[in-house]
Amino acid sequence: MKQTVYLMAINEALEEEIKRDEKVFIIGENVQQGTFGVTSGLVQKFGTERVMDTPLAETAVAGAAIGAAMAGFRPVADMMFADFIYIAGDEIMLKAAKWHFMHGGKVNVPVVIMAAMGGGMKIGAEHSMCPEALIMHTPGLKLAVPSTPYDAKGLLKTAIRDNNPVIFFYNKGLLGLPGEIPEEEYLIPFGQADIKREGSDVTVVAISRMVHMALEVAEKLKDKVSVEVVDPRTLEPLDIDTIVESVKKTGRVVIVDEDNRRCGVTAEISAQIFETAFDYLDAPVQRVAAADMPIAAGFLEDYVLPQPKDIEDAIERVMA
Amino acid sequence: MKLEKDQLVKFYSLMVRTRKLDNLMIEALNSGRMAGFYHAGPGEEAVGIGACTFNMRDDDYLYPHHRSHAIGFTLARGISPKGWVCRHFDKNPGEVEGPTAEERGIFGISGTIGGGFPLSLGWGITAKKNGKNQAVLSFFGDGASGRGTLHESMNMAAIWKLPIVWICENNQFGQFMPIKDAFAREDIADIAAGYNMPSAVVDGQDVLAVHEAVEVAVQKARAGDGPSLIECKTYRMRGHAEGVPDVDHVDPRSEKDKEAWRKRDPIVLFKENLIKQRILTAEEVSKIDKEADDEVAELDKYQQECPVMVPSDASILDVFLYAE
Repeated sequence: MKQTVYLMAINEALEEEIKRDEKVFIIGENVQQGTFGVTSGLVQKFGTERVMDTPLAETAVAGAAIGAAMAGFRPVADMMFADFIYIAGDEIMLKAAKWHFMHGGKVNVPVVIMAAMGGGMKIGAEHSMCPEALIMHTPGLKLAVPSTPYDAKGLLKTAIRDNNPVIFFYNKGLLGLPGEIPEEEYLIPFGQADIKREGSDVTVVAISRMVHMALEVAEKLKDKVSVEVVDPRTLEPLDIDTIVESVKKTGRVVIVDEDNRRCGVTAEISAQIFETAFDYLDAPVQRVAAADMPIAAGFLEDYVLPQPKDIEDAIERVMA
Repeated sequence: MKLEKDQLVKFYSLMVRTRKLDNLMIEALNSGRMAGFYHAGPGEEAVGIGACTFNMRDDDYLYPHHRSHAIGFTLARGISPKGWVCRHFDKNPGEVEGPTAEERGIFGISGTIGGGFPLSLGWGITAKKNGKNQAVLSFFGDGASGRGTLHESMNMAAIWKLPIVWICENNQFGQFMPIKDAFAREDIADIAAGYNMPSAVVDGQDVLAVHEAVEVAVQKARAGDGPSLIECKTYRMRGHAEGVPDVDHVDPRSEKDKEAWRKRDPIVLFKENLIKQRILTAEEVSKIDKEADDEVAELDKYQQECPVMVPSDASILDVFLYAE
């Protein structure tokens, strides 16, 4: 194993896949310099044909990547901020998601749409979102939301090799997160949740940056309550079996996500737990999510996005 | 390149078949034996057929548009119309001989107007990366000139000198909106100057004029000289879709205008030209018309004999949600 940080794990995955497959290229605004560092240094190694800087034109960036994918390439489009995928709604939600289906399976769209999601940087309502539910709601799109350097690298390599459109949301609150990855090549299959901490009293399902908040709370409460932290790692496909298994063991569950509460990821997972594991629950499912309002900028962000205290309170409610 | 006699005959034959298949769909939808949308395009056949029939290689990419549900493009690219006919009637055509649309670089038609620009940009990038002098022909209507995707895609195609020929089939109406109230200039082709891109305005009723203008642009594209924009002036003879009001904003469209354009029907103009130039006799033309009638009747019969896709095949629909 070797030490790395989250953004470098993503960078390594891109480098390895560009090297491995001549059909892989990166396209986006300022990807040569890299806004968040995940694509930095690659143009010097692979040239401008493999790492393409574009004008400021998110719709065409996504659409061009999707078109090239239909015609045999495996492009990675970097949308910079996850909020910006709304600018390419037709391209991502309609074209990438539907054209394989619409054409009876004859058109494949092996594209990766990559973007940085999440709060923590306190940069306001249009640069802090986690639009996971939007993607999860759209049949035809896969969605990876890695929480660690290990998961980020393994999932991104799988995403690039997948023959379907994959949305890869890395979290800008985790860019410098240290962690270990193997020296040798590895891939992480989609649809396999990872138990980030074992416990017996309560299951906390947490996503992306929230995994670390949940782990922090679990550690704080360890003398009072044994918390199991389950990280789905991909939301489509969703490994509901591992979540339900954990719930059957603990009988209590808190779901934590940084997207909105209303019609959010927490709502979907909660519904699936109620549908399949109701008889095992000793308390109603509790949810911790962003408030249903725009994410305020600056220090006000903390009032909108989930905080450790919110998770602690939710755990107390299910344990009461 | 001067076209041979058999090529001229092919233009005529393709336009006639396109018109007759268009008429089949109009009849089928209006009589209730077909469900869904149909966007007819009689009078606009010369644009797609003139552009695509002899200017494209098998490995080129094509983005058609929704009018006539791209049947003219399909025929021009040598793709059997069986799948096209059957799909409209929810029938399963089974194995169809000849190339598929995908094998001729057609990946679909966007359900959103202007959705074709960014995808075409992607095919332009693909063609350039492949390094085999492939070209992309990307069609749009006058209505799509209002979309921002046009600017983003044309700008990038010009910056990177991509081998894309943008072709505007200006039929002067976007749904109920006349282009004179939707675009600030007389010619949509004028936008090309903003991208340092050559452009041409051609008579969209003249199949040879379209062919020649596109031929020049395709040659430039293959030579690495970048994209071009060609605007073909034509006219929408029917409503936006069958069954919807055929209006100019809220008023009925001008019968006088329609009559003037009807006199410039591209099939009639070309037929007269062929006879006048003694390329075909009136009898030979009638024979082609009769063959097209028979073929369309045969296709209608074929689809009637094909199995219905629903409900027995609907259970396998989710197979197509994800690729392997």
